[in-house]
Amino acid sequence: MSVLAEVTRVAALGAGAAALVAGALALAVTRRPLPALAVLLDMLLAAGLLRLLGEPDWPAILTAATLVALRRLLSAALRSGVRARTAAAVQEKSAL
Amino acid sequence: MEELLAEVVNVLVVVVEACGAAVIIVGAVWAFARFVWVGVRHRTTAAFVPVRLTLGRFLALGLEFQLASDVLRTAVAPSWEELGQLAAVAAIRTALNYFLSKEIAEERRQIADEQDQVDVTSHDRHGGTV
Repeated sequence: MSVLAEVTRVAALGAGAAALVAGALALAVTRRPLPALAVLLDMLLAAGLLRLLGEPDWPAILTAATLVALRRLLSAALRSGVRARTAAAVQEKSAL
Repeated sequence: MEELLAEVVNVLVVVVEACGAAVIIVGAVWAFARFVWVGVRHRTTAAFVPVRLTLGRFLALGLEFQLASDVLRTAVAPSWEELGQLAAVAAIRTALNYFLSKEIAEERRQIADEQDQVDVTSHDRHGGTV
């Protein structure tokens, strides 16, 4: 195994662990699952991209593709939630 | 001559990939430190968004390097299996880069809108008291 592959493998493991810590912290602080999940997925994505370096096997490729799709789905859900809250706030304001 | 070209391309691929990896690792370390800082000090959902935005920028830059190494790798990809994997990885990276750019633009717009709303509200408040 080359030095680069070894470094990225360790860094990917570290990024995965950091993702869990950051996600748990975000959940504890905000008490809302979606933003915490977004933080977790962002950090996991960094880990997935590090695993794609070199010559990845099919499982690594599939994991990265799933993460990208999940991340996209979640950010769409987050954005629609923000839009709904903004619209509700505007309606509330105009009703007053 | 062909072997020399393959050798040069392989070295270039490693150098470019190392640059991409360095960018992603630095981004992940920085983002983790900021996530912890924001979680301990600010304790709001909105405070996490700028950190995610910056991490997205780091990832997009790292992806650019990785895509460059994919392009270089196409110069020497002997088997169909390797070409298939290369195509799949390049497709994932291209799609991710596209979505990341869109997300960054969208979240920047959102932050600007929220800032505008805060400005209008504070302006209204000050206007009302004068």
